[in-house]
Amino acid sequence: MGDRGPRSGASAGDRLRVVLVEDNVLLREGLTALLREHDVEVVDSLGEAGPLAAVLDLATARARVDVAILDIRLPPTFTDEGIRAAVALRRTRPGLGVLVLSQYVELAYTAELLAAGSAGVGYLLKERIGDVREFLDALRRVAAGGTALDREVIAELVGARSAAAGPGELAALTAREREVLALMAEGRSNSAIAATLVVGPGAVEKHIANIFAKLGLPAVAADHRRVLAALTYLRATEPA
Amino acid sequence: MPLIEEPDLMTAPDLTTRVPRPRRMSRSLAVQLRLSVAAVAICTVIWWVVGSHSYFWPKWVWLPLGTLSVAHASLREVALRTTGRARLLALHGWIAVLVILFLTVVWTFADPGDRFWPRWVVFAFFLSLIVHVALARPGRRRGASDVERVLTERVDELTRTRRGALDVQTVELRRIERDLHDGAQARLVALSLKLGRAEERLREQPEAALLVREAHRDADLAIAELRELARGIAPPILADRGLAEAVRALGRRSGIAVAVRADVPRRLPPSVELAAYFIVAEALTNAVKHAGTPTHPATATVTLDVVGATLVVQVADDGPGGANALGSGLAGLAQRAAALDGTFTVGDLGSASPGGSVGGTVVRAELPCG
Repeated sequence: MGDRGPRSGASAGDRLRVVLVEDNVLLREGLTALLREHDVEVVDSLGEAGPLAAVLDLATARARVDVAILDIRLPPTFTDEGIRAAVALRRTRPGLGVLVLSQYVELAYTAELLAAGSAGVGYLLKERIGDVREFLDALRRVAAGGTALDREVIAELVGARSAAAGPGELAALTAREREVLALMAEGRSNSAIAATLVVGPGAVEKHIANIFAKLGLPAVAADHRRVLAALTYLRATEPA
Repeated sequence: MPLIEEPDLMTAPDLTTRVPRPRRMSRSLAVQLRLSVAAVAICTVIWWVVGSHSYFWPKWVWLPLGTLSVAHASLREVALRTTGRARLLALHGWIAVLVILFLTVVWTFADPGDRFWPRWVVFAFFLSLIVHVALARPGRRRGASDVERVLTERVDELTRTRRGALDVQTVELRRIERDLHDGAQARLVALSLKLGRAEERLREQPEAALLVREAHRDADLAIAELRELARGIAPPILADRGLAEAVRALGRRSGIAVAVRADVPRRLPPSVELAAYFIVAEALTNAVKHAGTPTHPATATVTLDVVGATLVVQVADDGPGGANALGSGLAGLAQRAAALDGTFTVGDLGSASPGGSVGGTVVRAELPCG
């Protein structure tokens, strides 16, 4: 999958256009209202994934669609339709950002979503939407080709890595550096990390440089690539 | 992925219909009949072709083959329709009839002019049948074979209905999880969204904003608690991705280093997957509680194997060992395994590990998975 660079011809202030797939009416309406309040155009909202391809074809004929937001549990079987649709979208429309929302997050699904690359993909718990500013930030990140992974799934990874690792690996990082590593793995930009930890951007850059050095991670510039680097490191204890 | 015997998630299986016994002809009988008919047809054709139409010699082929086929079919029917002492008597009588008939036909074919020599055989069978009846008559109490038959049938029925009941329970648990997901959990998420939007509108009123923010946090806590609850009832990852993936997730969340070796080539019956999952969950919880020390955190290894028609689940830790098999958590696991007709053992590894600690606990369950 090629790099998903900045949207051509788009500026930072452009209105985002999204398609929403969520079968629960309450949530569909709540999310649509929230998005519209924040200048995001909900091109269409569906209750199942079947018509999605057709809807996207129609919508992109008029203007670009930035992100497809999908629930995981959808009709007809209410198991993993959303993940399967998301993975298919990553394959067939590499320029389209995909944000998967769910009431539970599992690393297995994260891996499936990231298998086609970490550019323009997000996987968040639904309740994160209530934190409006952060949610919109995540949505814009995905639209711009970045990554947005839920902190619970990263925390699970970091916890497992800490438990599995011997002394001298994650233990070599300071508590602050571990925080920065987790935020990096979520896909946050340097400025977002600085804002979250309430430190200056220079401090963040220093922390990141230390992390890369201590863990022996390859030095990469693009945010989504460094997400992959962080995740690859964190997943190193997973059995093949 | 296709599941073995997956019950329809919308309706419970009907436990009242009985499977009727098949009434097809047995394969051996069918083969015998075909061979007999073939042999008889060939002989008759040869006789007809050869031309000496005076003596119908094929009758000597017809007779034994016909008798064998009739005997096979009729004796099998008698054996199927009767049991116990009645069966012995019926078989005895029917064999007598067959033998006498056979000998009579032989006498007819050979030389009917002679005296009816089979009469001696008739007399002998008559005596033997009288003796048999006389011995069987007095106190026709239920023989051991009758009791055995009733018990065997009852055990078969109980095994069937118990497996059915467990499958129903698993389907029920999944339905509860689904209802939680679509109902209370979804409502709380919608509530959390609304509170987030309300917070935004209260920037000018810090006191109200604070209250709303606290309400928002409470809602999020409730959401997280419900999520844990749902995971403890019927974890979605288990239903969607299977036992191996669900166990890996358990290992990552446990807080200790857990290595998972899974060799499960196919999906297993839902009740088996659920029982195995909870066995691993409880065993890991135990390991976290008892096996580690601050200086030497525990590590655990989970192995999942399908050997023939049995799922073997094993959780081993490197703690001090000495687990109490009757401790409430582990006792519940023994019950789960027993409900599936499986076995459950808790023991010490017994050998010294390279790190110097002796012991380690092994929890092992074997669950039939058909």
